[in-house]
Amino acid sequence: MRRKKVCFVGYGSTEYSRKSEAPVLWYYAEAIRDALRQTGLHKKEIQGLSITTQVSTDYSPHVAEQLGLEVDWVLNGDYGGAGGVMSVRRAADAIEAGHVDLIVLVGGNSFDRSVPQQRPLEYQRANYVDVYGYGGPNTLMALIQRLHMEQYGTTLEQIGKIATAQRENALNNPQALFREPMSFPDYLNSRMISDPIRLFDCVMPCSGAECVILASEERAKQITDKLVYLVTDAERSHYQVANMLPDKTTFGMKVVGDRIFGEVKREDIDICEIYDDYPIAVMIQIEDLGYCKKGEGGKFVDAHDLTYRGDFPVNTGGGELSVGQAGLAGGFLHIVEALRQLRGEADGHQVKQAERALVTGIGWLNYGRNLGTTAALVMERRK
Amino acid sequence: MAEAVQAKKSLPKINKVDQPYWQGAAAGKLLIQKCKSCGKLQFFPRVVCVDCFSGDIEWLEAAGTGKIHSFTWVRVPRNPAFKEEVPICYINVILDEGIIMESRLVGKGIEKVKLGDRVKAAFQETHNPEIKLPVFEMIER
Repeated sequence: MRRKKVCFVGYGSTEYSRKSEAPVLWYYAEAIRDALRQTGLHKKEIQGLSITTQVSTDYSPHVAEQLGLEVDWVLNGDYGGAGGVMSVRRAADAIEAGHVDLIVLVGGNSFDRSVPQQRPLEYQRANYVDVYGYGGPNTLMALIQRLHMEQYGTTLEQIGKIATAQRENALNNPQALFREPMSFPDYLNSRMISDPIRLFDCVMPCSGAECVILASEERAKQITDKLVYLVTDAERSHYQVANMLPDKTTFGMKVVGDRIFGEVKREDIDICEIYDDYPIAVMIQIEDLGYCKKGEGGKFVDAHDLTYRGDFPVNTGGGELSVGQAGLAGGFLHIVEALRQLRGEADGHQVKQAERALVTGIGWLNYGRNLGTTAALVMERRK
Repeated sequence: MAEAVQAKKSLPKINKVDQPYWQGAAAGKLLIQKCKSCGKLQFFPRVVCVDCFSGDIEWLEAAGTGKIHSFTWVRVPRNPAFKEEVPICYINVILDEGIIMESRLVGKGIEKVKLGDRVKAAFQETHNPEIKLPVFEMIER
């Protein structure tokens, strides 16, 4: 879908912590406060609120109450790792329709022990997956990675290069939990979790929150001169869901990519912030988005420099793999990093030419197949 | 300090839709759903045919044979009660009926498993005497 008059006007982040038990509401407030500080907005100017988390049972209006927000639009963007991009889409719809002019979107996670740390498993996961002693998403992605390696000859060197390049991007990102260099042998020799998935294929769960503020063009111009426009966006929930012999190594991102690149040219994208719950997921999305043919993601990775200095910058702040995954804030991290880049605020890992960014989100590994939710957006800095 | 409650291995929370499947498993049969309207076979059990959306669905006994589509060795199970069994060979099987199924590979020779290996269903006892889990074993060559 082509957008014309919706802009990102600011963002906010919290520190990430591997231990903090502060409630997710505290993290929400910190991230929103950071974004308000950046934009000079007062909380009374927030017209809409979107939340995304997996650790709170509070509905979105309850969160608004606890933060003292009277709003004309609320959303619980419960779309897994695609929650960032998909919530932005809902917010952009509301702004374009004229319901509201300014929406704050926040995603967060915490280890608050007063609330359940895991939702009950859904029916098919509980009855047909967990009973076999599976290891969560690590196991389901391992099945996909093995298939990709066997079908296409993809190597651990190629998959590992995504992890090590992202680590290089994180070295100067103060938000990243992992700022030590990582070599390919470090990656290869990391502990096996659900082979071929190793420890350094996995994200580190942590506490934290990310916030973005979306506004109409008219409102945005009153707030900032760093205008970042939402250009186009698309989503798909499930791919081949009724096919009993599904392609496990293709995601709904293929459908999303066709729509996105029906609106903008691939070569006009300067940076890609690709949802990275696993390096193999990044590689498959690069294929699905049409940067190379299916199965040639390994060769593509070989042929390009994925660091922020490189010819194909991916996850320029280190991604979730090096920054940490603050639960479903992970889907917002990529949007916030893209905004930092496009506004020229990515100190220490700034891409030289950064006018247009592609951001993706994926969520849920579904039964026997691939991904539940997939979404992407393109944003553009206009002077 | 009180000892931690011993976690139990996960068992299905059987519902009206999948009760026949679990009854079949307890009797040593692998049942899959067949749509009476369009003939589509499907797994896992659902309230509708995922192809034509008909609710008119019957149960069919599968041959119980198939091949390994993908596999992984689980070192860190989600439910800690499975820790004593690691590494667990978690698999995707393609049944000969043309249906993908998630399961576990058990028994002799599994350490040599590779994609395409032929497997057959077996029914594993659980801590609930009324519930058996459909798993798979290697077919010896």
